Amino acid sequence: MTARRMKLGLFLWATGHHIAAWRHPDAHVTAGIDIEHYIQLARTAEAAKFDMVFCEDAAGLREANVNIASQTSRSIGFEPISLLSALAVQTERIGLVSTASTSYNEPYGLARTFASLDNLSGGRAGWNLVTSASPIEAANFGATGLRPHADRYARACEFATVITGLWHRKPAGHDGESFSVRDPLDVPPSPQGAPVMVQAGASDDGKDLAARTADVVFSAAQTFEEARAFYDDLKGRLAAYGRQPDDVKIMPGVAPIVAATKAEAQAKYDALQELIPDDVGVALLSSYLSISDLGRYPIDGPLPELPESEGMKSRQALVIEQARRDGLSIRELARYFAGARGHWRIVGTAEEIADELQERFEGGAADGFNVMPSWFPGELDAFATLVVPELQRRGLFRRDYEGRTLRDHLGLKRPI
Amino acid sequence: MHFAVSLNIAATGQDVLDFGQISAFVRQAEAAGVDMVIISDVAEGPSTSPFEATTLLAALATVTYRIGLVASASTLAHQPYNLARRFASLDIISHGRVGWNATLRQNPREAANFSRPEGFSDGDFRRRAEEYIGIVQGLWRSWDGDALLFDKAGGRFHDPDRMHMLDHKGEFFAVRGPLNVARSPQDTPVLVMSGLNETDRDFASRGADVILIAEQSADAANAATADLRRRALAAGRKPEGVMVLLTVAIESEPPIDGLRSLLGSSGCDGFNLVLPADVPALQNFTDRALPELRRDGLAGRGQQGATLRARLGLGTGGAK
Ligand SMILES: Cc1cc2nc3c(=O)[nH]c(=O)nc-3n(C[C@H](O)[C@H](O)[C@H](O)COP(=O)(O)O)c2cc1C
Repeated sequence: MTARRMKLGLFLWATGHHIAAWRHPDAHVTAGIDIEHYIQLARTAEAAKFDMVFCEDAAGLREANVNIASQTSRSIGFEPISLLSALAVQTERIGLVSTASTSYNEPYGLARTFASLDNLSGGRAGWNLVTSASPIEAANFGATGLRPHADRYARACEFATVITGLWHRKPAGHDGESFSVRDPLDVPPSPQGAPVMVQAGASDDGKDLAARTADVVFSAAQTFEEARAFYDDLKGRLAAYGRQPDDVKIMPGVAPIVAATKAEAQAKYDALQELIPDDVGVALLSSYLSISDLGRYPIDGPLPELPESEGMKSRQALVIEQARRDGLSIRELARYFAGARGHWRIVGTAEEIADELQERFEGGAADGFNVMPSWFPGELDAFATLVVPELQRRGLFRRDYEGRTLRDHLGLKRPI
Repeated sequence: MHFAVSLNIAATGQDVLDFGQISAFVRQAEAAGVDMVIISDVAEGPSTSPFEATTLLAALATVTYRIGLVASASTLAHQPYNLARRFASLDIISHGRVGWNATLRQNPREAANFSRPEGFSDGDFRRRAEEYIGIVQGLWRSWDGDALLFDKAGGRFHDPDRMHMLDHKGEFFAVRGPLNVARSPQDTPVLVMSGLNETDRDFASRGADVILIAEQSADAANAATADLRRRALAAGRKPEGVMVLLTVAIESEPPIDGLRSLLGSSGCDGFNLVLPADVPALQNFTDRALPELRRDGLAGRGQQGATLRARLGLGTGGAK
């Protein structure tokens, strides 16, 4: 019986997760048009024995206001499935997880695409199922606007049923509410049987769908208590679907800033914070709060009362909770949020960061972490060379891959 | 004189090729000067290929350097916004060597698996495909070539005036745009059209960079080519801005002399040879046929240039 080990994902995001990352003097500013940059990042993560790299996705711009958008690097980038297909043959062991929307795809097509990625990579593919909460995306797929949260999840549920059926070689033929599919999947199974299923919706609907279908769950949490509550909640839902707690790995996001001393790490963080224009910070916050006009409230005043969102319910709740808890003004909240979009941030030495990760890992709040470097490649290099060895010294993280497929890395069963 | 090789990786009754075999073949074709390889993956019956064409293309892009890479993708299997993104991204990954083969023929198998059990009527399918292709091309032009500023100190990543909405509202689709992928290194990915019937010719000669025709005789090919060029001219394009390639299916050995005379009398710009995607056929092609084609100057005369457009001698931008 080997000791329980942490899972680590590298959350890729062009120039980095900090909204101002692209302005960092050493950030790779052309990341969104440079495949070599990504090959390098994936190889760094593979050398550090990460379980996977993960690509987020949106089928549209991230920001409606063009003037704001043009002050960020988020409006252009690679379409993730083509990006990961390229990485599949440029890496050997690391898992490759891409987001794709159930709202704007068809299950047969996506099943083939991911099966192809799985075959190209020798069994290292994963799919992050999202329901796509942004009205900007919706406008690229019809004139009727964002569909209600519950409708998107109903479609997502049916989508998940159909796609897993196709991957698991269930008998053909589906004629349902949103989809009809006649044939069985015509792509042979990869060495891991079927791509790994990932989910990151944290509303009630999202958690139920995850409990039913996901192998890995990403989440965002600020405090230990939030992370622990989410962990217990999700694992508690598994039994209803005949699943064991260990069948699902929960990996909250973490945005570390690491340096040889705490003061040095803090200085790195402060320097990045200096690069955020106020209107950019507030716009980013607004989009995650699903409110279009946060800018009209006094920036040094409190967050106004907000109606419950039809977009990302869980992130909205997390941010509102943080604002109330810490008594933050809009400006303070926006600046904090710009660092990692509501994910947990740790600034410190490798030992301090390892301590914090260990606490959540051993305290029943995480099975691993989705690492979100503030800027690329510098903060990834720092994490790989400082924090990973510290985790290895403590026996918390692997020194080498135990297997070949992403399921092997995650300790997941091969689907029948 | 241009030369393309088509592989239908999904056709049944052939070997299941792994990535190593496919990439070895494409690299040999590249070394021999073949202009482009076209990967199609739609089968009438169940496919046995482990790969889907666009994902395979992304992988091939990282192990090849000069050859053009074209994937077929159907207008039923993807939403236009997603397809535009996929190909724009592939073009960046390949440093400007990618094309999309849009076939104007409806595959009933696809309709049945993509929530369209009854399919579309011919007329609807055609109007939908035209609208679709127009959207994709429009999205590819969302960003001007000089839109990205990367100005760290000034805080401007891109120039807001050089990013364009599409604001398309049509019979079948509504797409706001812009694309969230940067402008293609070759301006727009090469648009290849195939599976045309008579009624598609106007549309194809207005919009396509490369048209694949599959006429049975040199005379018929000659007439079709002349007709396409005439229509391109009428649409305000330079007739030589559209490449017409004659698609020839070969079982084993390409008849070099036959090809040569066929080309002379067909008026086409070159050939698209359809090969069975199985190992003996590919090996025979790369080991025996390609050297001969090359010696005879049939392969390897493409213009030099980094992008597929440059290689085909197409101007930037394609049809507007
Ligand atoms: C780590 C992480 C990554 C995510 N990546 C994406 C993404 O790439 N695209 C997307 O549309 N949503 C993404 N989401 C959002 C969720 O998947 C989900 O759509 C959102 O939380 C709304 O669902 P909910 O209302 O159930 O929470 C991500 C969330 C997390 C925590």
